[in-house]
This record gives sequence, C-alpha cells and structure tokens, in this order.
Amino acid sequence: MKKVYLFIVLIVFVFVGCEDQLNLEPAQSISVETALSSEENIRNILIGAYDEAGQAATFGGRTHIIADLLGTDDQVSWNGTFFDPREFFTKSILIDNGFVGGHWNNSYEVINQVNIVIDNLDIITSSTAEKDRIEGEAKFLRALTYFDLVRLFAQQYQVGGGNTQLGVPLRLTGIIDYSNALSIARSNVEEVYTQILNDLADAVAKLPASNDFFADQYAARALQARVYFQQGNYADARDAANDVLTNSGHSLAPTFAGAFNNDVDSVEDVFAFQVTSQTGTNQLITFYASEGNGGRGGDIGLEAGYLGLFDDPANDVRASFNYVSPNNGETLTSKYTNQFGNVPVLRAGEMHLIRAESNFREGTFVGLDPLVEVNILRGRSSATSLGALTLDLLFNERQLELAFEGHLIHDYKRTQRTVGTLPFNSNSLVLPIPQSELDTNELIEQNAGY
Amino acid sequence: MKTKFSGILTLLLVFVVQISFAQEKTISGTISDQSGMPLPGVNIILKGTTTGTQSDFDGNYSINASVGDVLTFTYLGLVTQEITVGASNTINVTMTEDISVLDEVVVVGFGTQSKRKLTDNVVNIKSTDIANVPNPSVINNIAGKAAGVQVSQGNGKVEAGLNVRIRGQSSISAGTQPLYVLDGIPLINADESNNGAPTNPLLTLSPNEIESIDILKDASSAAIYGARGANGVVIITTKKGKEGKAKFSVNLSNGVSSRANSRDWLNAAQYIELYTEAAVNSTALLASFGIADPIAFVEGRFDRYANGTDWRNLAVDTDWEDLALRDGYTRDADFSVSGGNATTTYFFSGAYNDTKGIVQGNNLDRISVRMNIQHKLSDKFNTGMNMNYSRVDIDRIANDNAFVTPLQAIAQPAISPAFLDNGDPNPNTLYPNFLLQDKNAFYNTIIRRVTGRVFANYTIIDGLTVNTDFGYDLYGQTEDSFTGRLAPFQSTNGEAFASNVNSESYNFSNYISYDVKLPQDHDLNVVVGTEFNRAKRRFTSVTGIQFPTDDFQTINSAAEITAGSGSLTEYSFVSYFARATYSYKDKYLFKASVRRDGSSRFGKNSQFGTFTAFSGGWILSEEDFLRDSETISFLKLRASYGEVGNAEIGNFAALGLFQGVSYNQRPGIAPTQPGNSQLSWESSQQTDVGVEFGLFDSRITGELAYYNKDTDGLLFASPLPGSSGASSINQNIGRLKSKGIEFSFQTKNIVTKDLEWTTNFNIGQNDNNIVSLPDGNDVITGRNILREGEVANAFYLIEYAGVDPANGDALYNLNDGSGGTTTNPNSAERIIAGNPFPEWIGGLTNTIRYKNIDFSFTLQGEFGASIYNGGGRFQSANADFFDNQSTDQLRRWQNPGDITDVPQARLFGGNGTANSTRYLESGDFIRLRNITLGYTLPDDVLNKMGFSNVRVYLSGFNLLTFTNYDGYDPESRADSGGIGQVFYSAPAAKTVALGLNLTF
Repeated sequence: MKKVYLFIVLIVFVFVGCEDQLNLEPAQSISVETALSSEENIRNILIGAYDEAGQAATFGGRTHIIADLLGTDDQVSWNGTFFDPREFFTKSILIDNGFVGGHWNNSYEVINQVNIVIDNLDIITSSTAEKDRIEGEAKFLRALTYFDLVRLFAQQYQVGGGNTQLGVPLRLTGIIDYSNALSIARSNVEEVYTQILNDLADAVAKLPASNDFFADQYAARALQARVYFQQGNYADARDAANDVLTNSGHSLAPTFAGAFNNDVDSVEDVFAFQVTSQTGTNQLITFYASEGNGGRGGDIGLEAGYLGLFDDPANDVRASFNYVSPNNGETLTSKYTNQFGNVPVLRAGEMHLIRAESNFREGTFVGLDPLVEVNILRGRSSATSLGALTLDLLFNERQLELAFEGHLIHDYKRTQRTVGTLPFNSNSLVLPIPQSELDTNELIEQNAGY
Repeated sequence: MKTKFSGILTLLLVFVVQISFAQEKTISGTISDQSGMPLPGVNIILKGTTTGTQSDFDGNYSINASVGDVLTFTYLGLVTQEITVGASNTINVTMTEDISVLDEVVVVGFGTQSKRKLTDNVVNIKSTDIANVPNPSVINNIAGKAAGVQVSQGNGKVEAGLNVRIRGQSSISAGTQPLYVLDGIPLINADESNNGAPTNPLLTLSPNEIESIDILKDASSAAIYGARGANGVVIITTKKGKEGKAKFSVNLSNGVSSRANSRDWLNAAQYIELYTEAAVNSTALLASFGIADPIAFVEGRFDRYANGTDWRNLAVDTDWEDLALRDGYTRDADFSVSGGNATTTYFFSGAYNDTKGIVQGNNLDRISVRMNIQHKLSDKFNTGMNMNYSRVDIDRIANDNAFVTPLQAIAQPAISPAFLDNGDPNPNTLYPNFLLQDKNAFYNTIIRRVTGRVFANYTIIDGLTVNTDFGYDLYGQTEDSFTGRLAPFQSTNGEAFASNVNSESYNFSNYISYDVKLPQDHDLNVVVGTEFNRAKRRFTSVTGIQFPTDDFQTINSAAEITAGSGSLTEYSFVSYFARATYSYKDKYLFKASVRRDGSSRFGKNSQFGTFTAFSGGWILSEEDFLRDSETISFLKLRASYGEVGNAEIGNFAALGLFQGVSYNQRPGIAPTQPGNSQLSWESSQQTDVGVEFGLFDSRITGELAYYNKDTDGLLFASPLPGSSGASSINQNIGRLKSKGIEFSFQTKNIVTKDLEWTTNFNIGQNDNNIVSLPDGNDVITGRNILREGEVANAFYLIEYAGVDPANGDALYNLNDGSGGTTTNPNSAERIIAGNPFPEWIGGLTNTIRYKNIDFSFTLQGEFGASIYNGGGRFQSANADFFDNQSTDQLRRWQNPGDITDVPQARLFGGNGTANSTRYLESGDFIRLRNITLGYTLPDDVLNKMGFSNVRVYLSGFNLLTFTNYDGYDPESRADSGGIGQVFYSAPAAKTVALGLNLTF
C-alpha cells in the first residue's frame, strides 16, 4: 500500500506543480505595452525606423534602381535574369511585381513606425531639445518615404498646384491594434505633397544642426530642396539648397570618387543610409557590381547611350568612372564597388545642381552665378568648363553627375521629356498599386492602364 | 481359517493395486509449431486434475499419466489440443495457429487494444512492411500501406523533408504534420535547417528498431492526445526482448541508385537554332534597347557562353543534367540481439546506413544504437528503460532557389563547357557554375539525437495498475559551412557559418489503468492520468568573413565576424485525461475519453481547452443470427465522434511583439508581430463511421469507413493591407471541412503449404472544402487562394489560352464573362485552376510465397493533384532569357497558320511567361514503390549451418513511375515557396539493392 500512496502523491504533485509552467515569456521580444512605455524605447523605435528604411526594398537600393530603370531608354542594358527589375526596364510592369510590392510594403512599415514615435512623443520628458530632435527625425523619415511613394506610384506633380490626380494613402497615426478596419483610400497628389512639406517644415524647425549620422536640420533642408525642385517651385528650391550649401558645412568631396563607396559619411554626404559588414544592406552593389565587388556580376551595364552623353570624355573623370566586368564583359559604374559602403541619399553635388538650375530658371544669382556653380562642379571632376547654360545642358549635367542615384525618371517627368517613345505622363511610367494591397484594401483604386 | 482368508485378500488387494500402479507411466515428447520449431512454454495438463507441466526450451516435456488419461496442450494463439494417452510413451505434438482467436493488438496511446474490439479507426503497420527497404527515411516506407495516409517525399535530396497527411488537409497554416510518438515520447519534429531547404528531423529513426507503427486516424483515437492530435497521431513502438534464448539478427544490404527520371533539354545545335530565331523575332525590341543587329548580338552571347570554344561547329555539347544528377548508393548494416528470462528481457540493436545521394555533393551517413530493457522487480512491479542514440551526418547542397544548387545547372546552355582545359570548373558560364560551389564550398549538418524513456508500472491488485513514464528527447544539430574564394558570388575572401541548436523535450506522464471483468460478460477498462510536456530550444550561430587562404575554414580564422545570433524559446503543455473502454458479451462496444490541455502558447484568457470523444461498435458476427454463417466470419459496425485541437503555431503567436534591431551598430526595436488577444485553439470535430468484415473464414477481410472532419477557427497569418504597416496577422479565420471514404481489403488468395498469395489493397478519397472565411473574403498568397466553397490553397492563376495562329502571341482567357482572350496578362482575370493535394490515394501490395521463395511488390498511386512549376517561366519560356530550355519549346510557333501550344520564340519578349496555367500540370501517378524477391535457405541447410534463418533478397525502390507529368517527379515539391509548387526540385532516387538477413 505504501507504494500506492507514493504514486498518488506523485500524481497530485504533477497536477499541482505544473500549471505555473504555462506562463512563459519570449526571450527575444518585448510586448507592445512595454515598447510604448518608456522614453528609451521610443528612441529605440526611431532607430528601428532607420533600419527599416535602409532595407533593400526601399532605400537600401531598390528605390534608386526602380527610378533609374524606369527612366532609361538606351543609357543602360539589363543583363540579369530577375523578372521584377526587367519589367521596369521594358516598362511593362505586372501588378504582382515583387519590387513594387516590396517598396510599397516597406515604405508603409517605416511610416507606421515613425507614426508610432510621433504619437508617443509625450513620453519623452528628459528635455525639449530631445523631444524636438526625435520629432524632427521621425518627420524627416516620413517625408522621405512619402516623397518616393508619391513620385513612383502617382503621376507627376503639375506646377502651380491643384493636383487632383490620385496619390497614395496617407497614414498619419501609428497602428498597433490591427483588429479595426484598415482599408483606406488614396489621397490626391496635392494632399500628399502638402503633408510632405508640412513634415519637412517641422523637421527643419526642430532638428539640430548636426546629429551624427542621423538626420539633421540640413538633411531636412536638402530634402525640401529636392521636393520643391520636383514640384517646379524653383524659388524655394534654390533657397533651400542655398541654405544647405552655405550653412551646413557640407561641400563637394575633393574628388568625384571620394563621394562614393564610403564606409563613413564623407564631407559631401548630407544624409546617407549607414551600411556595415554586419548591418544594413546595399542592393545597388547587387545589381551594379561585379562578382568580385560583391554583386551579381553586372546586371546593369552602361551603354553608349549613357557614355555618349559626356561632352568632354578626355578630361571628365566621370566619363571613365567605370570598369569592365570580368564576369560578363559589361561596362559597370564605379559608384558601387564597396559592398559595405553607405548608400548616399542626399549629397552636396545634387544641391549645387538644384541651386544652379533654379537660379538659371528664375534669373537669379543666389549664392553663386549658375554658370560658375556648374563649372565648379565640373571642375571637381576635371571636366572643361561650359561656355553658357541651357536647360538641355543642365538636364544633361544631372545625368553626368547624378546617374544611377535614383533621379532619372523623376528628371524626365519634371522636364516633361519623352522616355524612349513614352510621353512623360504615360501610364506605363507609373508603378501599379501592388496586387497584395488591392486584395486586402477595399477602398484602394488602381492606377490607369493596369 | 480366518487368517488365511485375510491373507489371500491382502495379497489380492496388493495385486490389484500393483496392477493399477503399474498402468501409470511417464509420457514424454516434443512440442513444435507448424514449421517444426520447438515450442517452449506450452502448458500440458492432465485433464480433470491440476497436475501439469510446461515444455522446456527445446520443446520437450514429460508428465506422469495413465493410459486413457487425456492430456491438454494449450498455448496462447495456438489451437488447444487434447490427446488421449495410448500405448506409446511418446507423444509428439504439432501446434497450429488459431486464426480465429489470433488477436491483432494495436497501440492506442496509454495502452493497447485488440483490433477486433476497437471502435476507432487505427491502422497497424508491422515491422516486416517497413524493413529491408533501401531508403534512409523509415517514414517514407509507409507510403501506400494505409488508406487515407499520404506520404510524399519532398524531393530527391537524401535529407529531404517528408510530408505526411492523414485524411487530407485539416489545417491551413498551423502545423499540418501528425504528432509522432515514439514509445510514449512526443518527438520533436521541427525542421532546423539554416540553408533554406528543409531537413527531415525523423531521419534519426532506424527501421530495424521498429516493431510496429500505429496510425490513429480519427478524432476518437487521437483525442487522447488532445490539443496535438488534430492531424492524426503516428505511434512508433520499438522492439522488446522476449523470454527465451538470445536471438541474434544481422541484416546487410547494398543498393545502387539513380535518378528516377530525366528530362530533355536542348542540345547545342537546338539551342543555337532556337536563340538565333528568338533574337531575330525580337528585332524591334532589341533595337529599342540600342541593339541594331540582333544576330550579331546573339552570336556575341554565344561567343561569351561558349567561352572561346567553337560553337559554330558544335565543339561543345555539355549534358549539364548528367553532371548534376549522378549514380548513388545505399548501404545498410544492422544487428540486434534480444532475449531474456522470466524476469528480465532485453533488446539491443545497432544500425549503420551510408547513402550517396543522386544529386552531386549530397551524402548521408547514420549510426543508431538502441537498448530496451524490461525487468520484473516482483510479480507486481515492472520497470524498464529504453535508450537510443542516433547520429546523422549529412553533406548538403544549396536550396532549390539558390543559383548554386546543382539542379539549376539545367539552365546552362549546352554550348558552355563545364570545365576549362586545365580541369577546373568553368567560371564563365551564364549562371554560376555549381561545380565551382561543389569544389570550393561545403555545408555539413550533423544531427545527434538521444531519446530515452524510463517507466515503471505497479499492479496494486489484479487489474489495477499504476504507470509512470518519463520520456526525454534531445535533438542536437550543428551546421558548418565554408565558401571559398573561387565559389560563385564570393567577394569577401571566404565566408564561414557555424550554428548549433539544442532542442530538448521532456514528457512526464502518470496514469492509473483499471481492467475489470464484471459478472455476466461486462468488460471494462478505465485509464485516468496526467501528462506534462516541456520543451526548450537554444540556438546560436556565427558568420565570419576574410580568411587568409582557403585552407582556413573555421570561424577562428575569420578576420571579421559579421553576424552572430543567439536565442532561447520554450513551450509547455499540461494535460489531464481519462478514458473508459467497455464491452458487453464481447460484442457491444463503447469507448469515451476526455482530455483537458493547457499550453503556454496561448494567451492567458484562453489557455485551456477540453477535448472529448466517444465511439461505439457492434460485432454483428457474434450475434446468434450470424454466428454460424459460412460466409461471414466477422462483421463489425463502428462509429466515433471526437474533438481534437491543433496547437502547432509559434510559441508566442498571440502577443504583439517588438524585437531588437541594429542600425549602424546602434540598438533599436521594431514591431515584428501584430498582437491578437482573441487568438485561440484551432479545434477540429471529426465523425467516423465504418464497417469491418471478414468473409469465408477470414479469407477476405476488409474495412470501409466514411469520415467527416470539421475544423473551426483555422489559424492563419491573414494578409493585411501593406499600407497599414504590417503584412499579416495571426487570426482564427474560418472553417474547413475535409471528408472522404476509405476502403481497404486483404485477401488470402491461395493458402497451401507450398504456395501462399495474399493481396492488400487500400484506397482513400478526400474532399476538402473551405466552409467560411471572415467576412467571406478571399485570402490570396502568391499563387494560392483561400476562398469559400473551394479547396484549401487552391491554385489561383490566369488561364493560358494557347497561341494565336496568326502571329504567335501567347493568349490568356479574359474570364470576365466575355469569353474573349488577351495578350496582356494584367487584363486576364485569375481563376481557380487546381488542387495542390490529391483527391484519391491508394496502394496495392501483393505478397507471394512459393516454398522458400518470397516475392512482394507495392504500388502506390495519387490522383487529382496539380503541380505548378515555378521554374517554368525560365525553363520552358520559348527562349525568353538565355536559360537552356526544355525540348518541348521546339514546338514554338514559327509561321502564320501554325497551331501549337508554345508561343513564338522572342528573346526578352516575355511572350507567355507570366504566371499562368501554362505551367500548371496534373500530377497523377502510379509508382512501383517497392518490389522484393527473396529466397530463404531450406531448413536442413540451416540446421547444418547452425542458423535459424538465412534469407537473401533483391529489393527495388521507386523502380517504375507511370505518369503524364512532364516534370522530374510528381512527388517532388520545392524547398520553400508556395504550396504545391516545384522550383528546380530534384527527382526521387530509384534504388536496386541486394540484401541478406541472418538470424541465429
């Protein structure tokens, strides 16, 4: 009988002793409540948003690649086997294109994360400066993300306002409870640009003048310059670019090569996404670089259509800033040869071109005479000076300086030029709203032509 | 006078007594079975008395009896014999099997039941069905043996994951695999691979250790496993020792393997012809890219891919498929010894398997040892221990989606040489040359698994037993990989990766079982108990780059460590269960069970669930009106109903979570999972109705069953609008029904001393259907859809409509009601195009024995499934990219008026290459899974040699496949990606092996 009692005791022990074993906590995560309860965690979420924005799907490289492949006519060749980038190259994009879906989803992940930060700013009590800095950075990232969303998924902004064409959905509050209805309609392009400019105005007001490698006041100003420029608001673009060039301390790197492939931001970088061998990703390497440089061997090759744009190839180092791929014999750009190099977003070279062209169009000389400015920029690359400026020469100079940095299609649309045989406002030059959004969002409307 | 009379009387008495005493003698003899083997332990009783004895180890006995006495010989499972003592003093007896009483025993979880009285749907598979098959994965060998159980090998890699589906799909994204229980221990069945392709965790099981596999198919049988039984339960029982002299068994086998199927790819001449034509057809498109001369352009590419060889004269014509798929082998050697005495029995075994896979660079070897011991401490107290250690060492190749997997070599043009003149692999190929990866990189996985069980049971009084069981499963895996400088995509002077995972699970169950026979034919068995299961997983990994030379391959030599991870996770289950099994007069049967499970995986508000089940049966053949029937020897009706649950979701799926991230080595956090406080169990209710019959004295036996599974609260990562910031959320979103019929029969066609032939046939039909989804909305993931009224994960694709005879354009049906077609895939509406799972599965096994020769074969078939070839857009794309094409693309449209299903070849034209039904095919097949021919040496030879059994056999695995499917293998599926899809997936291996079984 003793043994029976022993067993019964054992069983009772099992009954009673084990139910508290059901309360287990995850070791690599924290709950939403914890994440939104302290100032330190709000700061952490903001840093997490930079990491999110730097992912391959967006500013880790695909945002640039989409823009350059959409805008190319005969400047580059596509030699890779992935379907998604090829669809941009041939301008026949399917609605289940992975790059399109990835860019859309990742952009909204960034937006949601910064919205969560903005919603919870009141938790930051250590100092007003700290709260302003966090708000400024969050709004900078939100504006940066919405700007590329609206440039890629909607028709070009018409100068003068009144843009009622479909833009993108504006999410301005963070979502942490997904049990509510989530469908949202697209706002129009005017509304999106208004939001972007409001965010940037706040960012400029609140950000400190320098902020390590995170966004600072001049990064916001530089982005403002780019936004005004795209809108055709050359006066404001000029003033913003001028502010950056005069006051930020950023200037052209001594050599053209010095502006690229940097592990640490150079003097020319106004804002860049940080990449190291352990964090971040540089997708531009994947598609533009040879295998030896960490890429796929040269999926995007430079063709005569680009190389022929150089008016002074003998002297201009930019004309020979390329190499032949040992993998497929294509000519590849040397802008992307360091697989752990940072991905530049805003640099002084672009600011010079914005200021010069804006001055030219407005007939002003703020900061520098536009012809002088362009020639200084060319001089940095040892190219001979131009005698006079025309809009065509300015358009061309942007390609010589800023090629493969995600500007091409946007420049064509801003200047209403034809891409190959497609007019600037062709439906084929606008990305489709991804299939995954159409399948789940009842209020969304697809772009014309898809 | 008186004295003399009493004296004579006494003498007479003595005389009479003397005579009667003299009549009792010693009877002795030998008792043997039908095949002449001596039978120890047979009871011999003098009828009408309590005098008796038992036969010894050699079958000999001796007993005192008189002429006219009756001796009764009894032994469990054999026909009782009564023999009258005659003049002879030697009575030898041959005892025969008692077929009608022979009770198959099935394991039902926390006990066993006789098949005859079972009211649930359980299939029993014996060790002979799964032994001696030349294949390293034992679960693979149950294919075609059980109705309604579909076993698909993922693809031809030696470590390929297996998919076992019992009665179709009853869940969508919670786990779909059954619960595997090994001697009472629920096994860890998680794929721990880090290279993108799954590894089968059950590779550690060795067939020679397994006594039987019992598959619990219906809810009533699986309910005893509660929250983990929704997909069925596979109970694996290992061999035990038996009382008797030590019995040794040795098995050796050596087999050769090759690919079960090849496909035809363009040779050099065909490639040049097709691509030149494709370039010319794309003249305008190429011009728009700035290429003025299409022929010069494509010939320039030929020059590049031919790497300097003379392609114009077809100097090089490489068969890349032949380089990727090679001949392999499978070698097995195992031994076991079992025996024991009245108090202790033991089973020791060891096994070794060495498999060289059919894909270049893929190999496996396994050693496995086991010790099972049982000991009776007293008549009432029984204890035992099972221990097993298994080590599997696998050389792995890249996953299907990686450019360096050997299977993607079929994309290389035939004009590209595989090697340079100096013998090194050619690095200048269209795609990275897998031979460079094969030579300069390795990926090695070692799994070390320990399973153990300690148990004790104590019989308090007759029929009342207390059991305690402690089980332990430790799955340890290390993965080491190094990629050298010359491997494709290598740009960091080498890269090494090392990972280590330790996943352990322990299970403690205690139960009381009470077996009682109440007066007037009531039989009752009650089991009540608790079970506690706790598992922990610890994972670490490191990645390093920058090695001094390729001779340094371990992490220590890396100049820069670029990634590292370490994580912990755990889960637990607490359960209480009770089951009662009752029968009256051995013909009216009833069973009920209830289990209450709690788990750490669910939120505090819905942590526990209760699962009940009951079943009943009626053995009609025991009724008076059927008892003496000549035709019907057995007829049983049964029905069952039960609830089971599915708890296989992530360990913290209900919580809203943020995880740590890094930006430029500054820490941050980011949301990873939207929370759902409503998340709860997936619960499945299942009804099963069946008839079991035996005709003509069990010459023909079989069963027919109908089942209906209703799963509510399906767990699914429902897609969210991307604009909300999260792409999916875990929800209980709907209801899925799965129903079908299963039919199986066994016939003993011929039963004579020299010739026996039995046939076993089973077929299962499954119909699955989504009953409801939240708000009735479709859920679309890639090329699969969940839609009310349709099969779960049906294919959802635009419909390919062939080729326009006028111009060679690929056409798609608009499917918008107009009945028209379009050349623009974006305009075509998608339709439900097929089912990724088969509707019918079946198996046929024939076993024939003629004297000493045995022959058997198993055919297995699946019908109704469709397969989507994700690689089709590259492989059969009428010369879209420069990838080598399948030869069927030579049927391309060339001239107006051509009627064909392959569109015009247009380089870079994307003509017909959108995801559509063009790449969807029927996957129906019948496969000769297994065929064996064996010869057992005759008894007299065996006796001279001193062996009790020697058998030599020839066995074939996957030898023949009958199918219309064009791909490599109708069973292969992709390592990852959509359901029902293939992507450069390897074909299965077919193997022929020669083997030897020895028992002594």
